[in-house]
Amino acid sequence: MTGTVRVENLSKTYQVRQRKGLFKSFRSTVEALKGVTLEVRPGEIFGLLGPNGAGKTTLIKILTTLLLPSSGEAWVNGFHVQRQENQVRASVGCMLMGERGLYWKLTGRENLEYFGALYHLSPQDRRQRALEILERIQLGEIADRTVETYSSGQKMKLAFGKALINDAPLLVLDEPTNTLDVPSASELRAVVRDLHAQGKTIIYTTHIMSEAETLCDRVAIIDHGQLLALGSIEELKDSLRRDQVTRIEGVIPSRAVAAVKRLPNVQQATRTSADSGDLLTIVTSDGHEFLPQLIEALTQTGATIKKIAPEEVTLEDVFIAKTGRTLAEDTRER
Amino acid sequence: MTATSPTLKSNLSIVLASARMRLATISRYPGQLLMDIFIPIVFAAMPILLGRATAGPDAGENFAQNTGTSNYVAYMLIGSAAFTIVTYAFWHIAYWLRWEQETGTLEALYLSPTHRVWVAGGTALYSCLRSLFSASAAFLIGSKILGVNPFEGGVGLAFLFILSGLIPIYGLALLFGALVIKVKEANALINLMQWGVSFLMGIFFPIAMFPPLLRAIALLFPPTWMTNGVRSALLGLTYFFQEWYLDLAVLWAFALIAPLLGYWVFTRAETSIRRNEGVGQF
Repeated sequence: MTGTVRVENLSKTYQVRQRKGLFKSFRSTVEALKGVTLEVRPGEIFGLLGPNGAGKTTLIKILTTLLLPSSGEAWVNGFHVQRQENQVRASVGCMLMGERGLYWKLTGRENLEYFGALYHLSPQDRRQRALEILERIQLGEIADRTVETYSSGQKMKLAFGKALINDAPLLVLDEPTNTLDVPSASELRAVVRDLHAQGKTIIYTTHIMSEAETLCDRVAIIDHGQLLALGSIEELKDSLRRDQVTRIEGVIPSRAVAAVKRLPNVQQATRTSADSGDLLTIVTSDGHEFLPQLIEALTQTGATIKKIAPEEVTLEDVFIAKTGRTLAEDTRER
Repeated sequence: MTATSPTLKSNLSIVLASARMRLATISRYPGQLLMDIFIPIVFAAMPILLGRATAGPDAGENFAQNTGTSNYVAYMLIGSAAFTIVTYAFWHIAYWLRWEQETGTLEALYLSPTHRVWVAGGTALYSCLRSLFSASAAFLIGSKILGVNPFEGGVGLAFLFILSGLIPIYGLALLFGALVIKVKEANALINLMQWGVSFLMGIFFPIAMFPPLLRAIALLFPPTWMTNGVRSALLGLTYFFQEWYLDLAVLWAFALIAPLLGYWVFTRAETSIRRNEGVGQF
């Protein structure tokens, strides 16, 4: 393998203390990653999708040397994450904690110059680089204000700018458009595309499926610490036949969802809120031959059907088929 | 990539950048710098006034019987100023780590190719500048307020004792910092520690008054030697080993051991944390 990132059979377990009341606690073991193997190719935007607690942050933290794996190995830009930590760190630009990774009492410019120093840039280089980044992320006018006075979106932009300070060949961006308004998110995605066009490899996690679909060359879906799917958007969509996804709009009570789930050949049935009521997305393994059974199950359990239609497969459908839930639903549960 | 490989020059540049960053931060809290100067004076004034109240005009004479100097005002001011230097070292290193952990910037530091010891060096440099300024200003202003001459005795030698004491003190502070990031608590630990430190280094009394075991423990602690050295230089008291250079040699021995010990414990704590939940959890 010659990927920018190579991950071989990576596992991570750690101890957590569970609290029970004021004084009682006990230790338990969490398996955050279970034998993940993948490769990120040079120059691609690689999407990492998974519900909260799926293990994607653990994977990213191992790749960026913040955590040590329990077993398995990983290489980033050809450097081993445990044996060549500093080389890995020097060759990666990271945006992991959003606005939390900034010094709020310093100005935007001071933040960038300080992080430039931490990446061993000379004083002239860090000043020049900070200037370029501030212009690129359109924060030049407020560069000399302390970060505490920035809006949430401006802080996110600066955190993104911080990831560019070392001009690394690999960028790791953890939900970079979180808290950004629509125009700002669009601007940031344009910068990401621009960086991609310059040949940078980008690992991108997001909760927004449409963002992953429009931005990423390939996507990995992770849940419960395991890699469930990996491929290009088209490959993943092709893995579900067009007629395997059916969407129903209407008023759909929980017992109707349960009845649908009990039908033979139904792989997943997930209800979400829609403008007109509920939206039930069903993934089946035998096409639409089950439609009469489906309608009967729904009407007998009190559901009101407004619209029923086979739909073109989306990345969201792939995600539902692989994890049994929607990413949006999971995000709301946070 | 414009990032360059680490060199001694670039690492020293990080020390300066880190110190400058912290100075820029504290400059946005000007009131705190003013408070820094007056706290040691108030701290020393309490036992000084208690001494005057209880011993009356014989306070100096009584004090001289146990310490070798009747200048108890300067004795306590020096103790309080030395304590400022020691307690700031522990506060700034430990609180720096805890603060960065809580605000999320500690993870950002660990993402960079800079070893934390250089950033700690910058924090130590900032802390030294701030504590030396505060301790010196407090000693000078306190001397003026309480009516003693701050320049009697060997000022240069006293300063040498302080500079020699700073290295082992920051080494111990790094060790203490390892404890803070491991147990994820700073305030209670520092509060507990600073009272123990003030007691052991004898900020208001000579450690000769301790029982033998406690005296031996106090002598294992570098701030005890620094404080005694400064007092002996300024007030003409007896050094622990009679000669100033022997006491200074002990401080230098601490200066070799304590930073290595602090570094070793700190890196072990880091590895242990990275094996489990990571530095970002607080």
